[in-house]
Amino acid sequence: MSNRTTTSSRTSGSGLGTFACAWCRSTVPAHAADGAPRNHCPACLQSRHVLDHVEGGRSDCAGRMSPIAVAVHASGDWTVIHRCVRCDELTSNPVCADDNQLVLMRMAVRPLAQPPFPLEAFGAL
Amino acid sequence: MARNNGNSSSKGGRRRPQRYKDVLHARGGHRAADFRCVACRLDVPLDAPGTAHRNHCPNCLASLHVDRKIPGDRDADCRGRMQALCMSVRGDGEWMIIHLCASCGELSANRIAGDDNPLALVRLALRPLADRGYAARALLALGRAEGEQEPDSGRTRVRAPRPG
Repeated sequence: MSNRTTTSSRTSGSGLGTFACAWCRSTVPAHAADGAPRNHCPACLQSRHVLDHVEGGRSDCAGRMSPIAVAVHASGDWTVIHRCVRCDELTSNPVCADDNQLVLMRMAVRPLAQPPFPLEAFGAL
Repeated sequence: MARNNGNSSSKGGRRRPQRYKDVLHARGGHRAADFRCVACRLDVPLDAPGTAHRNHCPNCLASLHVDRKIPGDRDADCRGRMQALCMSVRGDGEWMIIHLCASCGELSANRIAGDDNPLALVRLALRPLADRGYAARALLALGRAEGEQEPDSGRTRVRAPRPG
């Protein structure tokens, strides 16, 4: 389930490819330092809709995918939930070790900044 | 024989006609719109305050994989259980529950309803922050970085790369 983002990394097929981020235009190596395939920019966590999650094949959308949430699975590993801005497809990608912690934690605390009900009542519980 | 239940078809005898039911509990009856939660078995009415489409249980936030793209299209044939995975926020501040299908791994985002359990919602929103490993380390590192930046914020601004 790796959304490798450019043609250059896909054609090379090795761990030496790079891709340009769809949002911040920084050049990103296609594999992380521990050899895991990277599918989002470590600086801004944006991705590109290249791989279809449900069918498992290539996707023709190629839209930008913005990170919308951080999920913690039962096994304890963190994943970033991406949403395609073109076709509203949702994917979940594992977090790399060098991903921007500020962006990750900002997504994690964003629900608490705009609660739909007063959170003061939970202090009494 | 003291009692004949009326269902003794093995004897090939008479069979008592079934009592007429004037209340239909099944589909088309007086609670046709209700559904039973697949996770906690709560009987949930379909009309929810604040939303036109009730798609998850207000008690345990679990859902059922019946819709494909458009809410209410009933186009998916998976019918798997969808557990609430995490909480997301739309641009206008609306909370969205991200559901993960336990059967096929499909993700979907659903708006919260007005009668959802607030404790379950806050527990879901706090799940990344309650992680002792990664979240604690990340918050510690961010706090340290901010503490270093605060006394001489002017100097760090100079050190930041400038465009052009």
